[in-house]
Amino acid sequence: MGRPSYPLAVLIFSRSWPQRIALGWLSVVLLTAALAPVLPLPYLPNVPDLSQVSQPPFSIGKHWLGTDSQGLDILSQLVFGARTAVALTLPATVMAALLGAIAGGAAGFWLNQSRLAAPYWLLLVACVWWALSLPWPWLVLVGAAAASGCLLAIAKWRQRPLPAWRLPLDSIVMAIATTLDTIPRLILVVAIAAGTSVAIQGMLLLLALTSWPQPARLVRAQMLRVRVLPFVEAARATGFSPGRVWLWHALPHAVQPLRAAFPLSMAGLLGLESTLSFLGIGLPPNVASWGRLLAGIRHDQSAWWIAFFPCLCLITSILSLYILSRHQSSQP
Amino acid sequence: MVRSALWHLFRTGLAVWVLASVVFLLSYRSLNATTELVLPDTTDLATTTTAVARRAAQQAIRQRLGLDLPLFYIGRNDGNGWHWNGQHNQYHRWAGRLLHGDLGTSFRTGQAVSSQLGTALAYTLPLTGTAAVLAVLGALGLAQRLATRPWWHRAGRGILLGLHALPLFVVALALLLLLANPEMLAWFPTYGLDDAADEQLDATTQFVRYIWHLVLPVAALTLSALPDFTLQLEAALTQELRAGYAITARAKGLSEQGIIRNHVLRNALLPTLTQVAQLLPALVAGAVVVEVVFALPGMGRLLAEAAANRDFPILVGGVLLTGLARLLALLLADLLYLWADPRIRWQS
Repeated sequence: MGRPSYPLAVLIFSRSWPQRIALGWLSVVLLTAALAPVLPLPYLPNVPDLSQVSQPPFSIGKHWLGTDSQGLDILSQLVFGARTAVALTLPATVMAALLGAIAGGAAGFWLNQSRLAAPYWLLLVACVWWALSLPWPWLVLVGAAAASGCLLAIAKWRQRPLPAWRLPLDSIVMAIATTLDTIPRLILVVAIAAGTSVAIQGMLLLLALTSWPQPARLVRAQMLRVRVLPFVEAARATGFSPGRVWLWHALPHAVQPLRAAFPLSMAGLLGLESTLSFLGIGLPPNVASWGRLLAGIRHDQSAWWIAFFPCLCLITSILSLYILSRHQSSQP
Repeated sequence: MVRSALWHLFRTGLAVWVLASVVFLLSYRSLNATTELVLPDTTDLATTTTAVARRAAQQAIRQRLGLDLPLFYIGRNDGNGWHWNGQHNQYHRWAGRLLHGDLGTSFRTGQAVSSQLGTALAYTLPLTGTAAVLAVLGALGLAQRLATRPWWHRAGRGILLGLHALPLFVVALALLLLLANPEMLAWFPTYGLDDAADEQLDATTQFVRYIWHLVLPVAALTLSALPDFTLQLEAALTQELRAGYAITARAKGLSEQGIIRNHVLRNALLPTLTQVAQLLPALVAGAVVVEVVFALPGMGRLLAEAAANRDFPILVGGVLLTGLARLLALLLADLLYLWADPRIRWQS
């Protein structure tokens, strides 16, 4: 958005060596995650091989990276752990960024001054009514639509603008963001994930819903700067509707800070996900994950390979994301 | 100043209340799993008694825990539709007791939540307190050194950035595996505080052992909190060193160290003070990880175990306590602002 799309070759070769290595590693992780079910792994992640328990790597047998104290193959757990990590952190980061961009962008653009015409309010109330399944939902929906139609007709007939009430968008968004930021994300996710026994989709939603405030703050701050720039005024002067000015003119510039923040936020979520599965909270126990694999070291301290390989994967991934983020932010 | 500080506190208190309520309402929804976990002998009972008797036992447990009441003021019937439950509901009872300082009783152990949290805090507070002090002092020293641009400036920043990137449990595990492992270097004890509480030892030995057990956890927490502070403070110092008064001080012939210590530091501290408000809650969250890794019987492990066992009163209590830490930190940050910036003092 807002910048020329580079061909893939330029994307790769215009970078320094650390960035190329980082990109390479992340693509390997992505590919592994995508191809995990069809890779020719000698063992499945959740099938223990009880004849070979706590084997060191490169020993006899086909357990190339060894087995843990329950006889599970480390390599296949690593591969499927990468799948879990990508399947969880990538969509969660995208959802959080989208939600943050929309909420923060709207809050920064309209501040507390936007006025919503009465028909919208009526429809909103009717929708909430319907969602809560209060009595006679359809009747209320139809009534709201009819009332809106009447209002529109009257406004047209008397050639007056529709009555509108103020919507304190900025206050609402910022209040929710501040509320979510009060308690550290780890504690909040632990407390909620314990109550609602969640599968991977629930976890995804939980992570996205608890991590949108940061992108929202970034986009809002940038939007405060962008909304007074001449080109936005020019777009307004040409008579575009505010929604169109917001979406097509202001927002593409306001989301620029997210380019540098996206890898960082993904690294944070990767750390959070592995911490949660290290603690054994959230995901069901049969889902392979780097954090869960790492937790195995506590039962058997002499088996260094149980901790070494997942640690290596985790650290390399997080550092790669950091390196990518620095490249993005150093670009003009 | 006082008004804005009070407004801050009020807003944060409200946010904590809302979050605790959300956690309460979300968690108490899943009743069946809870009663099954509370009744660990259901499997034994199932073999001997009928399903009816089992249901009766579950009903009795629900009644004992107060889970037979409706959840909230308004609720949904089995048929579609909403109805008003009146004040006789779980949320109202929880909130009322909370205002009297009663956090409820744990599902699992049947003890009062506040006493359990109190016992756990006796272990956690020394841990997090020491880590907080060490992190702040270390950041002050390290940032001042880094800002003078010594030869190790680049390397130091790189290491700090790398440390900042790592999740806390990786740092803690690395410390544990390198320094408390019989296979590598067995300098420190690995697990728990068991042999520190040995009755037969005298007080001094007990104390020394206690400190000995806390070295690695405190080191892990400090290492996780240090980079954030240091990098922020270093950036602020570098920014301030370009200001006019710093150049004047340099022209007077002061050493770079002297300029930073006597002139620049106080101005650069202001943006860092906001981070103090983040520090205490973050350390509580860090304690969850560190206490699980090092098997310390503190608040973090209590929370992690409560989450694994769905012991919701403890979880809600933990959220409230973290919120309290946040409130304290905000108060502390406001007081520090007052100390650091005379302009704020004059206005108030």
